[in-house]
Amino acid sequence: MSNLDLAQSGALGDSRLAGRRGAAEVWTVANELPTFFAVVAAIGLAVYLLSNQFFYLNLLTMALLFGGLAVSWNIIGGFGGQFSIAHSVFFAIGAYTAGNLYKHFGVSPWIAILPAMLLSAAVAAIVSWPVFRLRGPFFAIATMALTEVAIAFAMHWKAVTGGASGLTIPYRAGLENMIFQQRWAYAALFLGYLAVTLLTSIVILRSRLGYYLQAVRDNDKAAEASGIPIMWTKLKGMAISAALTGIGGVFFMMYVRIVEPAGLLSLFDVGVKIALIALIGGIGTIYGPLLGALILVPLDYWLRAFMGSAVPGGNLIVLGLILVLGSLFMKKGVAGALRQVYRAWSRQQ
Amino acid sequence: MSAIQLGVEGVTKRFGGLTAVNDVSFALGQGDILSLIGPNGAGKTTLFNLLTGQLAATAGKVFFDGADITHYRPNQRARLGLGRTFQISQTLTSLSVLENAMIGAFLHHPRIADAADKAYAALERVGLASRAKEEAGHLTLGERRRLEVARALGLEPRLLLLDEVMAGLNQTELARIVDVVVALNASGQTIIVIEHNLKVVRTFSKRVLVLDRGKMIADGGADSVLQDPVVVEAYVGKKKQ
Repeated sequence: MSNLDLAQSGALGDSRLAGRRGAAEVWTVANELPTFFAVVAAIGLAVYLLSNQFFYLNLLTMALLFGGLAVSWNIIGGFGGQFSIAHSVFFAIGAYTAGNLYKHFGVSPWIAILPAMLLSAAVAAIVSWPVFRLRGPFFAIATMALTEVAIAFAMHWKAVTGGASGLTIPYRAGLENMIFQQRWAYAALFLGYLAVTLLTSIVILRSRLGYYLQAVRDNDKAAEASGIPIMWTKLKGMAISAALTGIGGVFFMMYVRIVEPAGLLSLFDVGVKIALIALIGGIGTIYGPLLGALILVPLDYWLRAFMGSAVPGGNLIVLGLILVLGSLFMKKGVAGALRQVYRAWSRQQ
Repeated sequence: MSAIQLGVEGVTKRFGGLTAVNDVSFALGQGDILSLIGPNGAGKTTLFNLLTGQLAATAGKVFFDGADITHYRPNQRARLGLGRTFQISQTLTSLSVLENAMIGAFLHHPRIADAADKAYAALERVGLASRAKEEAGHLTLGERRRLEVARALGLEPRLLLLDEVMAGLNQTELARIVDVVVALNASGQTIIVIEHNLKVVRTFSKRVLVLDRGKMIADGGADSVLQDPVVVEAYVGKKKQ
């Protein structure tokens, strides 16, 4: 049996018989595009339908921002398994780069995107170099410490950050300034941001880098024996993830027009929240982080509104509980649970 | 004998007071197959790890194709052509069978379609092609062992190191993997195998190298080595006079 198998498949070194059979079995970027366009179109429709409902539109805008941030985080946190809670640092770098270039030099935020990406990626690579030697919880704790350093730094570097009172930029509406009178324009802007992060994430997942990141996450010993340079792979993933997070910071700066270190670098409201969103939505999947943002951002708002006054901190208790239950019963997040339900359903059919 | 591919000169590994591998030297020609045997704790896997770079040698040198690779990282050695499997299968459980094999094939084929084709060919060589789409976590122990071989083959290795790929398998699985190893060697692949089962070793390996407590106690033809009193003693103890 086995001899026959081997002979048929050309075990004696003749792999020409195999032809292009492997390529047909593997999922490529082209396979992912229909779903991608459908998701972006569906959200575009939602933006259109809500364009006069400012409350919901604002909620959707924030969900799209955090969706984009979580998708960016997922590249290193999900694919690469490096659980960073310091992505608020790259978010802040993006915001401060755009804010200062706009305020002091009149540089359009559209142009500021490039230096914001480069700076975020550079800082990410430099701080990750030593931190990537740590594993699992130790890595997460080190990134937490990094956030604290960044807050202290931002508080003292008043020329750039405005210190505790924050950095404000003047309101001058116009496409070139990325400042809009219409609320829906921001929703569209953040939808564009989300689309860019999703597309990058798809391209990475369906490329060698995506597979290398997953190999490093699953088993670094096997990865290294397969010729994968572990540190370099993690650094590449981290730099791309940070650069995309930096873009989110640019857009956020132009949306709120005032940022202060305590808010921008808040461990819970930004750093942990990004990771939490990805975790609950479905870590390591393409759309899980987006799903997480669409669930968690409105939920967080609602919990604050209804519990914040009655039970101070009650929203955090509920979110913590969701995290515990989620990690106990839905290890692959909502996206993973949905996939399981779908598989069970299609088996019954 | 053909051109020397792997040269090991006085390689030693100490863990504190314990000498796991003690002054081992041997050479391996291109296209040869060598079995590394010895009782538990003899230092076989440690020697493997010194060859592939998972461990750094305390003393001695390792040469590959004439180049001194003693201080190379495992990924650099893989790049040069050392492919290996692990004693405890290191399956990438979140990936499919094909994707596991692709992790190796990406080394020389960065494009995803090319890597998938090469990986598929490697799966065919180990008889796992029909399982390509399945989650690797669902494979049996024997299948995982063969998947490891496929991932290592994806590297297009010049030297393949198999660490106990036959341990703990049932008769059918054992026969399949022996077939795979024999076919690979017949196609010109240089191979080093760590193996406990002496009967199996005899079937495919002409040359056997025996380790005992870190020292190389025999190196030669399978039949003569397996009857060598020193080797027999290492395995079953001294005969009472």
